[in-house]
Amino acid sequence: MSANHQPISIDGIAYNQLKIEKKPITPEYVRRDPELVPKANRTVVVNPARTCMPFGAMFAGLGMHRGLPFVQGAQGCTTYVRYTFCRIFQEPASIANASFHEDAAVFGGRKNFIEGMRNLIVRYHPDVVTVVTTCSSEIIGDDMVSFIKAARKRLITELGEEDGSRPKLVLVNTPSFAGSHIVGYDRASRAFLETLAQDHSKPNNRINIIPGMVMPGDVREIKHLLREMGVDAYTLFDISDVFDTPLMPPQTLPYYPEGGTRITEVEDMGNSMATFALCQNEGGLGARYLEQKFEIPAFIGPMPMGVRSTDLFLKRVSEVTGKEISKSLKDERGRLLDFMADTLHHTMMKRVAIFGDPDIATGITRFACELGMEPVAVMSGTKTKTFTADIEGIVAESGAKPLILNGSDLFEFEESLKAMPVPVDVIIGNSKGADIAKELQVPLVRAGLFVYDRVGYHKRPVIGYRGGERLLADLVNAIMDFSYPEERTQQL
Amino acid sequence: MPFIRLKCDELIPEREKHTYVTEKEKSIIPLCNISTVPGDMTERGCAFAGARGVVGGPITDAIQIVHSPIGCAYYTWATRRHMSDQYAWSLPGRLDNVAFNRRYCVVTDMEEKDVVFGGSRKLLKSALESIRLFPEAPGVIMYTTCTSGLIGDDIGSVAKQIEKETGKLVFFAEAPGCSGVSQSKGHHVANRQFFGQINEIRRKQPELILPEEERTPYDIVLVGEYNMDWDLKVILPLMERIGVRVLTTFTGNARMMELVRLPDTKLNVVHCQRSATYIADMVKEGYDIPYVKASFFGIQQTNKALRTITHHFGLDELAEQVIAEETARIQSALDWYRERLSGKTVAIYVGGPRVWHWIKLLEELGMKVVAGACTFAHEDDYEKINSRAPDGMLVIDNPNEFEIEELLETCKPDIFLCGLKEKFLGRKMGIPTLNSHSYEKGPYAGYVGFINFARDIYQALGAPVWSLINGKGE
Repeated sequence: MSANHQPISIDGIAYNQLKIEKKPITPEYVRRDPELVPKANRTVVVNPARTCMPFGAMFAGLGMHRGLPFVQGAQGCTTYVRYTFCRIFQEPASIANASFHEDAAVFGGRKNFIEGMRNLIVRYHPDVVTVVTTCSSEIIGDDMVSFIKAARKRLITELGEEDGSRPKLVLVNTPSFAGSHIVGYDRASRAFLETLAQDHSKPNNRINIIPGMVMPGDVREIKHLLREMGVDAYTLFDISDVFDTPLMPPQTLPYYPEGGTRITEVEDMGNSMATFALCQNEGGLGARYLEQKFEIPAFIGPMPMGVRSTDLFLKRVSEVTGKEISKSLKDERGRLLDFMADTLHHTMMKRVAIFGDPDIATGITRFACELGMEPVAVMSGTKTKTFTADIEGIVAESGAKPLILNGSDLFEFEESLKAMPVPVDVIIGNSKGADIAKELQVPLVRAGLFVYDRVGYHKRPVIGYRGGERLLADLVNAIMDFSYPEERTQQL
Repeated sequence: MPFIRLKCDELIPEREKHTYVTEKEKSIIPLCNISTVPGDMTERGCAFAGARGVVGGPITDAIQIVHSPIGCAYYTWATRRHMSDQYAWSLPGRLDNVAFNRRYCVVTDMEEKDVVFGGSRKLLKSALESIRLFPEAPGVIMYTTCTSGLIGDDIGSVAKQIEKETGKLVFFAEAPGCSGVSQSKGHHVANRQFFGQINEIRRKQPELILPEEERTPYDIVLVGEYNMDWDLKVILPLMERIGVRVLTTFTGNARMMELVRLPDTKLNVVHCQRSATYIADMVKEGYDIPYVKASFFGIQQTNKALRTITHHFGLDELAEQVIAEETARIQSALDWYRERLSGKTVAIYVGGPRVWHWIKLLEELGMKVVAGACTFAHEDDYEKINSRAPDGMLVIDNPNEFEIEELLETCKPDIFLCGLKEKFLGRKMGIPTLNSHSYEKGPYAGYVGFINFARDIYQALGAPVWSLINGKGE
């Protein structure tokens, strides 16, 4: 009986049974033109490590309780971003859109906005709508401030003064040709505080946290650290119970996750003792705004990863609030140090390449140095004013001299690693690094915003001492999986 | 039954003409392929997505250049599961770990100054540089987006310049996101423009046309087959066994040069009849080459497809032989699933054709479709739905998120076949879901693929997790 006649079992046919024969695109190996490898020598971007500005504003807007972003642009601007959130978090992400077709492109988006805002609000009754502009609305010159006024008037006419005025509308201008997703989130942090925060001159004895585009596990970890110290805090754009929600039907319709920051919380952020923007480039603008407007001290970065940065964060929180760093947190610190001591033979002198968004790349580099690793290449997908100096400062003590790529693409990152005379031992970065790591035959430790090819990353922290333990375990286990025969791992 | 107004649409009554319940004697064609109601929480994407993601993306060996700020390229980098077997070299003697069309993302990264002063030069420069970087690629495919479309960059003249300077093949599609009402516009534009460019290349370089002696009387092209999760691995062997030769596909795992030879076929077989009938029509008109429509989903439809194709060539007996062998092969597995899935109800929400492709297939599993919804279907899709649907099936054109929730709550399907964005929503409501666009664990086409499909449906439905949900069965 030929293979064609073999009965098929209930297992069907698995992917690895398909026998896909790889066919080379050319008979011979083609070397990439070394002159065009550095991004500085070319115009074209190959394998970008950042995405568009509206993404960051939508991320922020979804972090509000009953908050819906409304995207003033074409449908793809929403669909692609929702798709990306779904891939990262495996959660729904509800975002409305003005549905620009040709007529909007020609006559402007006024009609789409006013009608769209009305249609959204009468059906969904959101607490707050984040108005996110796009390349197209910015190019055609939509006057969003006047559109918002007109939409409000329309809502009041239809719903009455009280109901028509209730939903807050917060405008975030995000033309993607002027910056990346990092800038979108940064701008959103300022826009929300500008629009909503009030000064009642009634100190609330709280601190504000602007977490940046971190994972639900990270936000939960920050809350844990503060809870252990007895510090009350507000979290701006709290995505922890938005992007990691329980399966507990029945749902009331329309679907809203339970979590998110409340409007009243943002309003009261003008009365807090201090603002901590965990990421310099994702939320720093908001923290600075509160400092200028309400004289609330701003502590901007570094991301509390690893030992020293977490120490610094807790020390500052302690100084601001007068609350002591608890014994429980000192124990957590001790446990991380214990773990570092127990694993040092696996981390010391390991050559590591790191890429991602600027703040997490910086945070990982700092932790890697604490582990005695040697950063050989560090890249931020978004160019920032301080990235190069920050990394130089971090590695100065260890004497490492990594290749620093500030705002380059993964093509340069990859080709630079391939050209290194001594190969790299491990790469730390998001899922876009998977192909690179496979080709270099080194492990990829997944960390960062765009981790979508393995499950569960978003549920656990990389922030704080416990996040450090998690990252260290991932790192050492990945190195073990790759570089040690099993007989060597029987006695760690 | 007439049109119906869902509860969630009371305040946007214009949606009523998109929503109906099927009834054999009184078929309704809803309003479709028209503007979306702004702010209704649409699930639709943009024309660029249709051109770049659906039609152009599966072409394996082209440098795919998106002329836009970074995002439009980033989101279309290896996201849909259109597979390929064409690999670049990572090192001498070692091929890349990911096929060429998914390995690289090339973008002009338009910035403020390009928006102000125009981006055509940047596009040209980017294309020439990427051809230097990837000399192994036979050509480039360029896409405009909202940004480059609105500022009016002349991509056509850039294409001519690239051809002149490099001699490479150049395709392009001008489908900015804000053109048309959905992805469907982008399918159409890419079909039309690629066909025009193919003709132009054949006119200028007649030596690229498939020589007469290399043709056979049994040459076909699979049009509108995008090789989702390697559907081609089950379709191609079937084609071989019925005695036809597949010259290429439009566009799953297709090489640019093969597409230039697309009109050298004897017959086009159209699979996705929404996104690609256009080009089959154009080839028919321009080259007098007929096409047939076919679906490779489920037993009856695959049987029918094989019979239709072989009948065209007078190879009927081969089809019967293959059908007999293949149906025998899967019979026991199919019975196993049919026993477990019989009587279960299904809601389907996909782009367009799969609603009507799948009604029959699900009936073969003993399941009943209680609701169907399409993102970008046209009138002809709804005609086909009406002719296949059981009475009393809820149909929604271009559903928004709220309508989908209401559909799930009122129809209470045992499983929801949908896309990635909706599958997590359905699950939150306690309803098992399955990704019907890129599949869970495909291939799903053909006879063997049908067992995979049944298996994934069964796995979704049968997982113990659903019985652990609080309140169930209390």
